[in-house]
Amino acid sequence: MWHQILLSPRGESKILRLRWRAVRVVVSLVCLIATPAWADGHSPAFAFSTAILGKGDASFETELMWRSGTVMFGPRVSYGISQNFQISVSSPFHINHGEHPTGRFTAMMPGNPEFEALLGWRFYHASTGIGTRNEATLYAGGSALTQHTPRVDGPALERQPGMYVAFAAGRVARSYDIWAGAGYQRYGEWNRNNPVNSHQSNTLLGSFAAGWRPSFLNKDYPKPDLRFFWETTGEHVGLAWRDRTPGFGGGGGHGHLVPPTPLPSQNGIIYLRNSGGKAVFSGPSFLCTYRSVAVQGGVLFAVMDQPNGRQPQYREELRVVVGVSYYFLGRRK
Amino acid sequence: MIFSWNNTLRCLALVGLLLGVKPLHAEYLKIELRVYGLDCELCARGVAASVQRLPGVKSVDVSLKKGLLEIVLVRGNTFKMSDLRKRIRENGFRAMEANVTALGNFNGSSRFEVVGSGESYNVARPDTKGPGPVELTFDIK
Repeated sequence: MWHQILLSPRGESKILRLRWRAVRVVVSLVCLIATPAWADGHSPAFAFSTAILGKGDASFETELMWRSGTVMFGPRVSYGISQNFQISVSSPFHINHGEHPTGRFTAMMPGNPEFEALLGWRFYHASTGIGTRNEATLYAGGSALTQHTPRVDGPALERQPGMYVAFAAGRVARSYDIWAGAGYQRYGEWNRNNPVNSHQSNTLLGSFAAGWRPSFLNKDYPKPDLRFFWETTGEHVGLAWRDRTPGFGGGGGHGHLVPPTPLPSQNGIIYLRNSGGKAVFSGPSFLCTYRSVAVQGGVLFAVMDQPNGRQPQYREELRVVVGVSYYFLGRRK
Repeated sequence: MIFSWNNTLRCLALVGLLLGVKPLHAEYLKIELRVYGLDCELCARGVAASVQRLPGVKSVDVSLKKGLLEIVLVRGNTFKMSDLRKRIRENGFRAMEANVTALGNFNGSSRFEVVGSGESYNVARPDTKGPGPVELTFDIK
């Protein structure tokens, strides 16, 4: 009897699975609490912003991200090569897999479990007055997927390389911030000779954010610094696809009874369910910095959510990010 | 040569006087520098920390509301204003006008050379008596 209770239909021990899930949650929480992290000193939680580190400065960031069944943990390290060049390396990973259009989670954090290196070039920078400046940054980098994300309609897609280019511009002041930006992430293939090729979703992402520091919070250094943002992001996530190979069609993988979906196909490929769509999200966020630590969080609500028409069971309602950061400032001689 | 207690005492007094006088080095004493672009606590912290590491800096205070850095320097430092401006620029901000207190000598009627730094400024010469370095507070645009 107990044997039947404890074993899933796939023969895995439920106790072991629960334990493994608990371990992952605990490890993530410990990392989030114990690991100082970076959350962009002046930036919104989800939207684009410019590079900020001075020459020789460094930062370490962790983010816990949640959206409709997917939970990710994203550590990132950044270093200021000069006042205008910054390099960032991030490696988010899944704590809990979900089925969703796998666009980027935030402007600066991939939505897939992957290793990403970005170079930021602050090509325009003008300090226009006391506490105010205008600046713009170009980002470019590459990535490599690190985890297989399981899919209900077939085997996981292959791990692939990717590239990301983005642009961000904004104006910061003591009482307000304005940020706008856009980026494009594209995935490629490691091996074109693979008999079963597949392709992750490409993503086009844009954002606008307005920040506000109320006058009663406009304290002088070294008091804690708290500001609020309202962020809006828009995205177009492309369709993932795989070769039309027997046994790897639009449905029916993993022994699940997912009916084959009528999908358009061309050149011998099949577009996959739950792999793309258009969406606009909007919501509040906050950023609090004190000493060398920053705490950041935000919630985005779906304003418009148009999956690609092949996701009847899926609607993404909100996204949540919480991050803690630590800065290593002024260490150079 | 006849030994004389008087001459000996005079020599000892002269040596003591010479040893008691500190040699003059680069002598920026205090700087109030306007900085544009500082908008947040982390910006201020980064600038303060990096300026603090410049040689000769005793303390740094930052006012975000005034956009002002107040830097106090130790005596006998080798501090240079050009290094300070470079450091501000490396942090991503813009150094503007400054109010400086320094020890220096006048070269000509209005050229004030800060001792040991190799940096000089056009400053109106005050009414000073005699040669030697003078302590002066002046504005740099």
